[in-house]
Order: sequence, then structure tokens, then C-alpha cells
Amino acid sequence: MTDVTAPGAPRRAGRSSDERVTRKVARNVGVPVLSIVLLFALWQGIVVVFHVAPYIAPRPRQAILAVTQNWSTLWPLVLGTIRETVYGFIAGAVLGVGLGVIMAKVPVLQRLVYPVLVLSQAVPIIALAAPLVLILGFSVTPKVVIVAWIVFFPVTVNVLDGLSHVDQDLVNLARVYGAPRWRTFIQIEIPATATPLFSGLKIGATYAVTGAIIGELAASDGSSLALYQEHANTNLNTAAVYGTTMLMTVIGISWFLLVVGAEVFATPWQRRTVARRGWRRGDRLEDEPAH
Amino acid sequence: MSASTLLELRDVGKVFGDTVALEPTTLSIDEGSFVAIVGPSGCGKSTMFNIIAGLLAPDGGEVRLHDQPVTGATGHVGYMLQKDLLVPWRTVEDNITMAKRLTGRVSAADRGEARRVARQYGLGEFLRHYPSALSGGMRQRVAFMRTLVTHQPLLLLDEPFGALDAQTRLEMQQWLLQVWKDTERTVLFITHDVDESIFLSDRVLVMSPRPGRVVADIVNPLARPRTVDTLVDPQFVTIKGQIMHLLHGGQP
Repeated sequence: MTDVTAPGAPRRAGRSSDERVTRKVARNVGVPVLSIVLLFALWQGIVVVFHVAPYIAPRPRQAILAVTQNWSTLWPLVLGTIRETVYGFIAGAVLGVGLGVIMAKVPVLQRLVYPVLVLSQAVPIIALAAPLVLILGFSVTPKVVIVAWIVFFPVTVNVLDGLSHVDQDLVNLARVYGAPRWRTFIQIEIPATATPLFSGLKIGATYAVTGAIIGELAASDGSSLALYQEHANTNLNTAAVYGTTMLMTVIGISWFLLVVGAEVFATPWQRRTVARRGWRRGDRLEDEPAH
Repeated sequence: MSASTLLELRDVGKVFGDTVALEPTTLSIDEGSFVAIVGPSGCGKSTMFNIIAGLLAPDGGEVRLHDQPVTGATGHVGYMLQKDLLVPWRTVEDNITMAKRLTGRVSAADRGEARRVARQYGLGEFLRHYPSALSGGMRQRVAFMRTLVTHQPLLLLDEPFGALDAQTRLEMQQWLLQVWKDTERTVLFITHDVDESIFLSDRVLVMSPRPGRVVADIVNPLARPRTVDTLVDPQFVTIKGQIMHLLHGGQP
């Protein structure tokens, strides 16, 4: 949308805003919900048509019941997994951004650190768990470390990439204005990196729960969502196995959606033609007639 | 130097490796004048701009503004390129006030000025728009307003309309002349469009590559205001012939 030649022409002119919102909600919420419903229908269909035994695969209803009927037991475990995911994600994101910035600004460090970063991701994460438990014990810390270990990498790579592709003419323009380097960094280089940064965060978000579950399997002393599932599996309680898998998936999707929401909020210019009213304190066009 | 000289180059030159980007050049620009620089790529016009703006240190010589040395220093000119360089994450208004934000605080007065300038030049309705909603011509106008509100007396414009279609370009040229008249700035304007250089300027510097140098300094006698008729004025055609001759290897 770079070629609006008619001054004042709004996007999608001629359609009422109510209708537009309805369509948008239908497209952005309705379609994903429909695809999930279809997935459950497919699951149900396969189990019924092929007469799959309950200990091999339960029906969706049984899996859901296995969760709801044991909710009081499961809820603290879910909270634990969420905590590991969120702490680990935040630690990984902060570390990732920090490393990306430092590497972009100090080329020597980039050459020095990059191989180590790649190496860190080549280590099988399971193999990492045992020494982490030895060092950090069975607390929440080793799980947070594993999540952060997984999350920081895509963030660093994307931030580094974004910072090295900032338009140098724009940086030069800031120099011509006489801007100090730190202001140029904060006002030009950082916002210019928003898109790759959020790409990295979204990739990190999808892997964060996986990291937490691996951490729980390898470094848990008894009460965790992953061990609950393992226990259910040993008891041939397949419905509970499927149920906990669904729970883990829901945590993962929710976290991903939260990051997407943060992106939508933080980068309004990617979706909007006009800035939100009052998006910045004091940003009132007081001498402009109210619309 | 005369009392009304704004910018002076004294033996300013630049060599990159084996290439003489700009031979030592001496030049003075009068306050309030509109000087066009025309020449093919590689003639050193952008090198000259970057030296004046302070982005590039010359190998020798001195740049003086208001008779003060500014060689290698930044923060003393307005500067605009063919790329509008609007930041997509800021509204039109915040793009216009960008220089202030980068060098200090944006005051209510700065905001007020940005709005006034935008309204005066037909972008008042777009103050809260993001640049992605604007056409190429509108974006260049915003970029120019951003250059204008830096209040620098000297504006360096490096092919600002180079990416626009012919019709929009003519509109922008007339618009620029209007703004120049309103604001009494001094303009150095790079282009490789000979018509554009004559249409806009009081004076045309013709440059040539290998080595990059100014080969002619032509006073443009065409009366103002310039209109579409200017483009077919016999004097216009004479100057155009002279410049074309120089650009294709002729002697001054």
C-alpha cells in the first residue's frame, strides 16, 4: 500500500467500518477455530471408523474429560509449566537481544562468539539436562535455563541480521542532523529491527514450551506436567496422555499468540494507515477539529 | 569573499584509492541562491555533498559556512536524498520533527511548526498517517518538510525527485520553487536531468567524471517565476544546448 494517489483516500473505501470489523474477526478468529474443529472431527472419525482401542487412542471427548476431571491436580502442574516457559522465554529474549546488539556493534566479538552460539544449538538439549541438574538441582532453574537456551538463539540471529541491514543512508541522515550515536541507535536502529526481532521471538515462543517439557522430563523431582503424563502412560491411561498433550499444546499456542499480540501492539504501522488516537501521551492535535 | 556568501569550498578534494572522486575544487555559493549541479554518475557530485554535509572528510581543503570552518563537522545543513528515508514507524508529523527528536527534545512549538508546514503545503490531513499510506510524491514532500524544519540555511538536495514520474516531478519542481521563495533558503540541488537543473536554478554547475570536477559554472538568466512556458523559452533551449554539449565531452 504505497501508492494512494488520491489524497485522503482511506483503505478499503466504501465499506462500513462495522462490516469491516466483522469480516476481520471472521477471517482472523473464525477460520483458525474452524480448522481446530475439523481436526477434532478428523480425530473422532478415525477412532470411530477404524475401531481404535481406547488404550491406543481415546476419543476427543475422553481426552478432554481426562483433563477436566483431574483439573485440581493438573492446574498447579500447568502453572509450573507456564512459569518455566515464561521465565525461560524472558531470560532467553533478553539474552538474545543483548547478544545480538553486542555482536552487531563489535564485529570482533561477532566472529568470536558466533561459532560458539551455533555450537550451543548443536548440543542435544537432552544431553544438557543431566549436567544442569547436577549444577542447579531439581528446582525451576534448570528448566528455565533450558528454555532460555532454546529461545535466545533465533532472537540473537534475527536481531543481528536486522541490525546489520538497517539502511545506512538513514543512519547517515541522522549523522547529518548531528544526532549522537546512542540516539540514532535507539530511535532508528532499534525500531528498524522490530520485524526481525519479533520473528525471532515468535520462533522462540513456539519452542519455549517444548523446552520446558524437556526440562521437566529430565530434571524433575516428581510433580510436573511431563511426569504426570509419563505416569499416565505407564498406567495405560491413554486418555490422560492425550489430554496432557493437549494442555501442553494450549500453553504453547497461548504463549505464541501473546507474543503475536505484543507485536501487533508494538508495531501499529505495519497494519494501520493512521496512528491510534492517544497512542502517545500528550499526542492530541488540540488545534484540529474533532472527528 | 562577498558579504552574501553562505558556503565556500576552498581546494576541497577527495581520492578513493586510484580514483579521483573530486579534484580540489574551489566554489562559493551566495545566500538565498538556487544552485543546480548536473553531471553523469561518477562526476563527484555526491562526494561533494557528503563533504559539505560532514559525512566525508576531504583529503585537503576547507569547507566554510558563514565564513566559519565546518570541515568534517555535521549538524549544519539540511540534507535530502532520492530515497525519502521516512521512517515507517512514525507518523507524518513525527517524521517531520525527526531531527529535533534525534538531537534533543521535540517541543510543543516544534510540533506546532510541523503541523503548520504540513497544512500550508497540503498534507494537513495526513499528519497522523504512517508513510506507507502516502504516494511517492507525498512522501518526498514530507521528506522535504523534515529538511525544512531543521532551520538550516543551506539545503543539500541530492536528486530528490529522481524516482518520481514525469508529471509528479514537474509538480514537485514548481512546489519546491514556491517553498524556496517562501522560506528564503539557499539550495544546492543535484540532478542528472538537464531540464530540471535549468528550470529550478539561478546557476548551474556542470560536472564531469574521471577525474570528478566542475567543468563549467553557468549563470541562468531565465526570469522567475518559472512556469511550464519556461521549458520552451529560447533562452532555456540555448542553455540546454550549452550544457548538453559540455556533458558530452565538449570544451566550455
